[in-house]
Amino acid sequence: MNFLRKKFMEYYSNPFIEFPARFDRREYAFILFGEGGMRRHISFLSKDDLLSYLRKNSPAHVYYSSAYYRHPDAGTMREKEWMGADLIFDLDADHIPNAIQMSYEEMLLEVKKELEKLLSFLMEDFGFEKRHIRLYFSGGRGYHCHVSHPDVIPLGSQERREIVDYVTARGLNFKGIVKEKSIPKEYFSDKTLEINPKRGGWSGRIARGIIEFLREVKKMEREKAIKKLMELDGIGEKTASSLYDFLTEERIRRIEDGKIDQSTEFKRIAIPLIKKLSVSMQSSTDEPVTGDIKRLIRLPGSLHGKTGLRVTNVDVDNLHEFNPLRDAVVFGENGIKVVVEKPLSIEMMENKFKIERGMREVPEYLAVFLVARGFATA
Amino acid sequence: MFFKWFPFNFVELSTMARYPFISAAKEWVKNEKATIEEILFDDIYERARGRGAERVMQAVIAGFIKDIPLLSEIDCVMEIFSYPVARMIVVASGSEYVIRRYALAEAKRAYENLKNESINFIEKMADEFGMRINGNRMYFVDYLRYAPTWDIKWKLVNRELKKGEVVLEKHEIARLLQEAIRKKIYNELTYMYPPPEIKKVFGDVIDEIKSRVSFREKENKIEEVDARLFPPCIKNLVSATKSGMNVPHVGRFTLVTFLNAVGMSVEEILKIFSSSPDFNAEKTRYQIEHITGKISGTNYTPPKCDTIRTWGLCFPDDICRRVKHPLSYYRLKRRRK
Repeated sequence: MNFLRKKFMEYYSNPFIEFPARFDRREYAFILFGEGGMRRHISFLSKDDLLSYLRKNSPAHVYYSSAYYRHPDAGTMREKEWMGADLIFDLDADHIPNAIQMSYEEMLLEVKKELEKLLSFLMEDFGFEKRHIRLYFSGGRGYHCHVSHPDVIPLGSQERREIVDYVTARGLNFKGIVKEKSIPKEYFSDKTLEINPKRGGWSGRIARGIIEFLREVKKMEREKAIKKLMELDGIGEKTASSLYDFLTEERIRRIEDGKIDQSTEFKRIAIPLIKKLSVSMQSSTDEPVTGDIKRLIRLPGSLHGKTGLRVTNVDVDNLHEFNPLRDAVVFGENGIKVVVEKPLSIEMMENKFKIERGMREVPEYLAVFLVARGFATA
Repeated sequence: MFFKWFPFNFVELSTMARYPFISAAKEWVKNEKATIEEILFDDIYERARGRGAERVMQAVIAGFIKDIPLLSEIDCVMEIFSYPVARMIVVASGSEYVIRRYALAEAKRAYENLKNESINFIEKMADEFGMRINGNRMYFVDYLRYAPTWDIKWKLVNRELKKGEVVLEKHEIARLLQEAIRKKIYNELTYMYPPPEIKKVFGDVIDEIKSRVSFREKENKIEEVDARLFPPCIKNLVSATKSGMNVPHVGRFTLVTFLNAVGMSVEEILKIFSSSPDFNAEKTRYQIEHITGKISGTNYTPPKCDTIRTWGLCFPDDICRRVKHPLSYYRLKRRRK
């Protein structure tokens, strides 16, 4: 039998599954080892039925529907009869710029930063409490955030899209949010942009972001500051240096009071800054994505067939400490011989590994990870 | 004491006359114990019947119901009774179009009055419709239920949202109430049956309304639309929509404005959207009618190619290089045909 499948079978003989609320109203879907397609439209009346399905098939991937239905096992949406759905945010490394050049660990750290931003939106702006939010490491390249507040469950896909658009800043109308004001002076009127860091919503976020960013830049030496400014999209050396020279103490104070002179080329830093402040969740081309009222998500506690890591709950308060390559590992330490095809450096279970090509003996958890990711064969 | 159950504890007649759809008004009419026969045939209600017919005619013809002076108690009483009369006429017309148009006109009238009310009053009205508001702030879930978010200024991202509450101006809350009122009236009328006697009294009015409506429907004459000539972006949107994918707002907007511009009727456009997973015929129709100018007064034109490209909805082919607007693509291809 296939090595991975055998290992998965060992895990599923006694797995730690977190069953979703309204368990029997969900659709379940599976991808089995060696099978291309997905087995869909499956429902279970009892938790034991699901557990024995897992034991029997030890699937490579296990999903359940974020929605719950009157007839979860019906073949079409219409027959299923949609009853409501959790609100799910899927944060994946695919949507992080330059993810390809990063190691697996770096990638996951980047996604975590996005997750932290998302949490701040959900709690500060939307007012959700911790008890309504559950975070999961996806087992693969990212994190899932589930919001199950009773008021969001009946929301339709347009309403959900508004929430997603809010955290990703899509459709943000800059001119409508940062008000332009003309202050009449003796002969001319002085045009300024007004910002207010105390406001809620994006206008406050942008204001705080700008002030914080400019303060940080101001503190730096000239050369470093210019470099920092140039990190923003569309800012060249010329703009950066003129911006820096412009930032006198007096002007910074004016900005902190909420007044930005038009001439600061402020808009040029504001737009890329919005990008930095928003959550990267969908690819930047904004292709029509399937509405999340009927999506499938990985079952907490199941294993991810491409890593062997477990879909693991992350405590909101301990997000910072969570280490997927320690906390989502389920396999043991026994030595296993594998043939490594691609060399790799990785830190797992707080051990550093530098693995070269060829036959190697490694701990079981690493063997599973390497084989699942296609770095080695067993 | 009876009214303790309702958000408006003590409701004056003049309030009920201006907002005859609130539950207190309904309860008041019930307590008057007037039978349908009395309302339809008794001389006392002559004025209410006249005003009821007027409400419907104005709604159908002008899309708006004009306020009348309410100087005395009897003025108010007749105004309150005219509302159930108008509803019976609307339902008796048997036309979905009349129901929609009437519900919207009543809601618009309420909006015009509401925006001049005190914030206190607006709060009570919001309560009546289950909207959770707190001064000038509204719970975002209720906001999303009623806000026309296809309009950029109503998009949540452009709103001040703090701890789950959206900060709004008074007239904006009134605007959201308008939508709640429209929905409520529309839903009620959809499930209502007219009393058989109504045609005896209002036969002429109902015929008149019907002829007006059929005349209106003839105005929107449909020309032959050839979907094979659509530019790739529109073809993509059509197939995504038809296959039940959830197309973003801007995509829906592009699609509706385009289909409208090439001469598709609301019904035909609606059909394309009907396979969407959360398809809601009434809501979609409202959005389509808003975008096509039927109820908003603005007939939006489709966005130009540049804009569509920014939204990531552009998948150009050879002809696309020669045009800057999706409609030019269609016209160019039709000329070639």
